[in-house]
Amino acid sequence: MDKVQQVPKPDLKQIEGIIASCKDQKWPLIPLLQRIQEEVGYIPPETINPIARAFGLFPSQVQGVITFYEQFYTTPRGRKVVRVCRGTACHVRGGKTILKLVKQNLGLEEGETSPDLEYTLETVACIGVCALAPNIVIGKETHGNMNPKKVSQLLGDKKGSG
Amino acid sequence: MEAITITLDGVEVGGHPGMTILDLARESGVDIPSLCHDPLLTPIGACRICLVEDERSGRLLASCVTPIESGMVINTQSPKVQERRKTIIKLILASHPDTCLVCDKGNQCELRKIASDMGVGLVGLQKIPLKATIEEVNPFIERDLSKCILCAKCIRADHEIVVQGAIDYIERGFASKPATLNDSPLENSDCTFCGACVAICPTGALMEKKLVYRGTTLTNVSTICPFCGCGCSINLEVKDNQIVRARPGKEGVVSRGALCVKGSYGYDFVHSPERLTSPLVKVNGDFEAVSWDEALAKVASELKRIKETQGPNSLALLGSSKCTNEENYLLQRLARGVLGTNNIDNASRLYSAPSIVGLGSTVGFPGTTNSLNALEQSEVIMVIGANLTSSAPAVGYAVKRAARYKGAKLLLIDPQQTNLSSFAHLWLRPGVGTDLALVNGMARVIVTEGLLDEEFVTRKTDNYEVWSKELEKYTPGYVEEVTGVPGDDVVRTARLFAEANLASIVYGDGITQHLTGTDTVIALANLAMLTGNVGLGGGIFALQRDCNGLGACDMGALPDLLPGYQSVGNPQAIKTFADRWDTDLPSDGGLTAIEMIDHAIEGKVKGMYIVGENPVLSFPNQSLIKEALTSLDFLVVQDMFLTETAKLANVVLPAASFAEKEGTFTNFEGRIQRVCKVIEPIGDSLPDWEIIVQLANSMGNPMPYSSLQQVKEEIQELVPLYQDTGYMDPEAKDMHRGELEKAPLRSRRLYKGQFPSGFGRFSPVQYEPQEETPKDGYPLTLLTGSVLYHSGTGSRSSRSPRLSEFSPESYLEIGEPDATQFGISEGDEVRVVSPTGEVTAVAKFTDVLPEGMLFMPLSFPSTPINQLFGIALDPRAKTPALKACAVKLERIQPRG
Ligand code: SF4
Ligand code: SF4
Ligand code: SF4
Ligand code: FES
Ligand code: FES
Repeated sequence: MDKVQQVPKPDLKQIEGIIASCKDQKWPLIPLLQRIQEEVGYIPPETINPIARAFGLFPSQVQGVITFYEQFYTTPRGRKVVRVCRGTACHVRGGKTILKLVKQNLGLEEGETSPDLEYTLETVACIGVCALAPNIVIGKETHGNMNPKKVSQLLGDKKGSG
Repeated sequence: MEAITITLDGVEVGGHPGMTILDLARESGVDIPSLCHDPLLTPIGACRICLVEDERSGRLLASCVTPIESGMVINTQSPKVQERRKTIIKLILASHPDTCLVCDKGNQCELRKIASDMGVGLVGLQKIPLKATIEEVNPFIERDLSKCILCAKCIRADHEIVVQGAIDYIERGFASKPATLNDSPLENSDCTFCGACVAICPTGALMEKKLVYRGTTLTNVSTICPFCGCGCSINLEVKDNQIVRARPGKEGVVSRGALCVKGSYGYDFVHSPERLTSPLVKVNGDFEAVSWDEALAKVASELKRIKETQGPNSLALLGSSKCTNEENYLLQRLARGVLGTNNIDNASRLYSAPSIVGLGSTVGFPGTTNSLNALEQSEVIMVIGANLTSSAPAVGYAVKRAARYKGAKLLLIDPQQTNLSSFAHLWLRPGVGTDLALVNGMARVIVTEGLLDEEFVTRKTDNYEVWSKELEKYTPGYVEEVTGVPGDDVVRTARLFAEANLASIVYGDGITQHLTGTDTVIALANLAMLTGNVGLGGGIFALQRDCNGLGACDMGALPDLLPGYQSVGNPQAIKTFADRWDTDLPSDGGLTAIEMIDHAIEGKVKGMYIVGENPVLSFPNQSLIKEALTSLDFLVVQDMFLTETAKLANVVLPAASFAEKEGTFTNFEGRIQRVCKVIEPIGDSLPDWEIIVQLANSMGNPMPYSSLQQVKEEIQELVPLYQDTGYMDPEAKDMHRGELEKAPLRSRRLYKGQFPSGFGRFSPVQYEPQEETPKDGYPLTLLTGSVLYHSGTGSRSSRSPRLSEFSPESYLEIGEPDATQFGISEGDEVRVVSPTGEVTAVAKFTDVLPEGMLFMPLSFPSTPINQLFGIALDPRAKTPALKACAVKLERIQPRG
């Protein structure tokens, strides 16, 4: 968690702008949260109060909506999200080792984001391409038949990049 | 409305459209268990324990969310229903922790009650708590969410009843739970510790902390909260002459399922070890405990001696805005009929006399003109000079409900940011002491734009022409210059107020405690009359700081008015009372509270009898007050505690608390509510009314009462305002002074469409710049006010273990820019100096104040801020200015 705290403060001006532009919509909260996430990369907790004020909601309600949807993140996310599959097929074919290597290469534990906001590491359940197991997904691209060599090709040694 | 008939467990019952099966069942005495349902909350149908079977389709329906339909055949106890309910309870219990077995909610737990009713044992409980108890340091509420069944009652109570929004669900699925923002402890959240969520939680997930007794209580008495003027009903649970728990009264019209932190947790002052338990007489500077006989004999002989040697007007009495109606009635009878003086007043002089004078001279009715319920139905609500969250929480809940859920537009006029600010449609921040100019400016906009209610003004009021001419100078430009509020905002506010059908005005100490208090009240009344908002819908809502401030005045604890606001200058009124009491009565006007002090200093008042008030802290200029009281020949103080004032007395009489006596309080609306005895008096203390009756006896002028009932009969007979209100009816739950049609005209409530004197009268009032504003050498304006966790001068709340633990000491609120300018850091000890005196306090940073403005709370005996005020009186109401003064700051030392 402490890695996240080194992240620069979000630009509240930018967020105020997004809020203002969504204010006239009828059910603005979820589209607004999506836009903030798209443009800022996550939903900074600092935005909860201004959002609540703008829409006549309680801050606790806004938090309730954010935490209800798995797609919303309240901590910064890397530009590249690396997802290592831990589905059964991948597991059987060495997914665990792949995860270990990815962790080593990125210097991150599951759920963590690098201080330079380049990478976030996550695991996922089966992504549906078991034939190519073990799989990892970087950003929107899926990489199959992973082995240690491919891991270092794809991710190099990214430790300390921040 | 068409009635709907359904068959319920084989019996035909009728209900009305919109009722749910559960509503109708409960009305018909059929028991259906429920966990997530509460009549005060929006139904969500989450727990499904309330299932019933629709015999025609065989379907199971959640009765709390299913409306009744004609011809339904419902079975609430079929085997299918029972089976399913058992499954549900077992499922809930299966994720319940094993600490359930030793849970403090015990017999109060609805989950366990339902389980045992259905014969489901406490088996299969989880070994490990699912969610750990949240460590909280506040002394009020404890949360153990491992026992949470996700019924969302707490969240709905928090959102829908008190509209605080401190909690909501966080996360989803298995991890879901009610939580504060960032899941922080309650004390770091927006929570106000009102206790509404605790009272409504069906399980042990939310509990009172520091319970002295945790089992089932046998005695359970409904009475009225002794703190603010809202008058919430509280239900006190008693075990062995000790109050162990307070809950919102079920039938309370004001409380509606919620109290504030004082009502829920502040009652514990009753059991403070500092309670006085026997009469005290001062001998050579020290108090000695004596018997009642001895104390009363001493008081009687001293009062008699002073009366005989110096004349009756050398005596003065101060009644209490915290004592019952009956007690204040008896006290004024003692003053007038036994001691022979009109020198009687009560502490509401300090904050609400301008309402009595101002409203009396315009609408002709000395107080709030409509009910709390009508306030909540208003389309526009203007709140001016009142921080409702701290000074009238229950009114605050109603205003927030109206603004958030009923589409009301809130016009907030307050220089400070308050909890209401985020609910405001428009928020104006006028300079201190300039409200009168703003209100006149609004009236001018309405007049010039022709937005007034012409029919109302023509038919029901007089003096409009004269008055409206006097408004000319209050152009938006002039108002902007005086108040700092942009002229456009003045115009918008005025239009919104005038265009609404039902518009209400709520005001408090921020209006009445300025030198121009009476004039500003008159300006507000003018505005309400101009827009036709007196006498029908909408209204004027004058807040009261104490539980019986209005009642003490109704009962004639006033120097110029007999009970029911009948003037002492009216020979007919005097005669009525003189005949009834069979004695001569004085008809010269008496002294108001502060005038008593002046007269004591001048040596004209020699003896005082003070009941339940603490002028050393509550009146301005503490050193002068002390000097006056010590200069008296004889001072008797009747109180629960040895207050700063009692310490100066020759004799102290120990009074019983609200929980130890019977009587009535009249809340800010004019609602007369019954105070019921819950426990026996502590030690040898006695209810104030008994002491007064006994004192009259000892003086050789016995009052002819053998019971409180007889006192009430006399009040009912002599006070028109209290006639036909059900005041005497022990069963009546909701009495409203003078509400009923058959009440005499002069006491009738205004919303029946009639002004008591036939017409409302517009009166011109002019803005004058005030003393309170910054001047040479004193560049800052200090505002004073109540805080949520205390009441009045704090003589009770500072002795409530929980309130004082949470809010132990005074502080100075200051904005960062001002602090920087004076070299003050957060936590520094600071000397606050006014031309009259000084106090010290710890600086606390805030962003709710405009620059140049500071705030300090009233209620801390150890930081008597009244020292900062000189004595300056509102010329008509004789209320001392106590709201704002010019000060400078000196840093003493960094803290620690
Ligand atoms: S804490 Fe109590 S009231 Fe709130 S959801 Fe849980 S069980 Fe219901
Ligand atoms: S105590 Fe009152 S303010 Fe606090 S969470 Fe409960 S309902 Fe909300
Ligand atoms: S202090 Fe006022 S608002 Fe709070 S519970 Fe008592 S009467 Fe109600
Ligand atoms: S298990 Fe990894 S893709 Fe199916
Ligand atoms: S009480 Fe009806 S669903 Fe909970």
